[in-house]
Amino acid sequence: MRLLCVFLFILFAFPAYAVATSPQEQVKQMVDGVFSVLNSDRSAVEKRSEISGTVQKFLGIESLSQRTLGVYWKKGTPDELRQFMALYVKILERIYLNRVEDYSGGQVTYDQERVKDDKAILDTTFVSDRYNIPVQYKLVQDGGVWQIYDVLIEGVSLVSSYRSSYNEILRKDGFVGLLKKMDEKLVQMEKGDG
Amino acid sequence: MRLFFLILLAAVVFVAPAFALQSKPAASADMAVGDSFDQEFADNFSETDNIPLISDPFEGLNRGIFWFNDKLYFYLLKPVARAYRVVPRPVRQSISDFFSNISSPVRIVNSGLQFKFGDAGRETTRFFVNTTIGLGGLIDAADKWGKLPKKDEDFGQTLGVYHIGQGPYLILPFLGPSSLRDASGSVVDAFLDPLTSDLNRNWSLLDKAEFTAGLAVNYLSLDDDSYEKLKRDSLDPYLFMRDAYAQYRVAKVAQ
Repeated sequence: MRLLCVFLFILFAFPAYAVATSPQEQVKQMVDGVFSVLNSDRSAVEKRSEISGTVQKFLGIESLSQRTLGVYWKKGTPDELRQFMALYVKILERIYLNRVEDYSGGQVTYDQERVKDDKAILDTTFVSDRYNIPVQYKLVQDGGVWQIYDVLIEGVSLVSSYRSSYNEILRKDGFVGLLKKMDEKLVQMEKGDG
Repeated sequence: MRLFFLILLAAVVFVAPAFALQSKPAASADMAVGDSFDQEFADNFSETDNIPLISDPFEGLNRGIFWFNDKLYFYLLKPVARAYRVVPRPVRQSISDFFSNISSPVRIVNSGLQFKFGDAGRETTRFFVNTTIGLGGLIDAADKWGKLPKKDEDFGQTLGVYHIGQGPYLILPFLGPSSLRDASGSVVDAFLDPLTSDLNRNWSLLDKAEFTAGLAVNYLSLDDDSYEKLKRDSLDPYLFMRDAYAQYRVAKVAQ
């Protein structure tokens, strides 16, 4: 019996250690995954759906939304927030896909990783023959997994850029107006890349 | 024809910096290491901090000019730049590098004014390397073979280092997003830049305008549709660009 307990303990404890990867490994996993799909010879549609699955796994949707909405996170009803998150993740994913396609054919170098408690900052550089772009990831640990809650490209934060425009729309038109605009944007984005 | 060039020139000169936001090739390896870790986190974790980075008392006027620049970009500058792309990319890149090399004094003086003497030295070295080995600046040899990338410094950044805030946000006709501080800074830079300085050349305004337009078209021909992407990705391009501009300049000052 005692042996069984020990055995069970080891069985359950071990995987927990095994998945506790560092922020850098986590981001590298995502970037490598995305690049390998891009460089494969699948069709564009297949690539898109595969990449979107990979990316969603690593994004902290709730942390991202919370930081984007700022004070409005507390003002929205649960239903509004749910709708917001669903639309926001789709928009971010679409933007990411567009970006990735624009910048395919480069390499990512991992420069520096700093961890403090449950937060981490990872500095990377996107290198290609034409660009040299600093990209910084901000991550938060949630249930042993590092999730991205902000990306800074050349010092410009994605969350902050969206936050200021979303807040202004929220201030004028409320959640109804914002959700409607996001919905329209998404339709337009999906049509635009035919 | 002259008038056409004048308009084009003005447009290019003013629009180009606006679109430099997304795809600046310059990267600095030693970015903001000095900032404390906590400080870097601070902004994103406070839920009450919804204060915009830059004030915009002239939003109505700015939006009007934004609309004008947008039309100018899509109906004039972009088509011209697209047609101009028949010129091979390496040639266009060399043109851009050549003029950027001539503007070295702007970066050297501003680095010095910000007490970044290492950067001033590097920019001086870059100037000599590119002017000699780089065939008069046509090749950015210092970056390519010497691992000495260009670091942009302007007087707006210098003022920022002196703790002068950006002041109100301004969208300049032809020129694009700026602020009271940065627009004033670019006037100072124009005196430092041998290309634009009246002290060195007695070009007429028209000559300068034509020249600048050409430079802007060259710039846009090298740009990968940054502005189109910005519009595609945002709910309100005006608000998105305003925040991106403010953040970009804050990051530049910190470097």
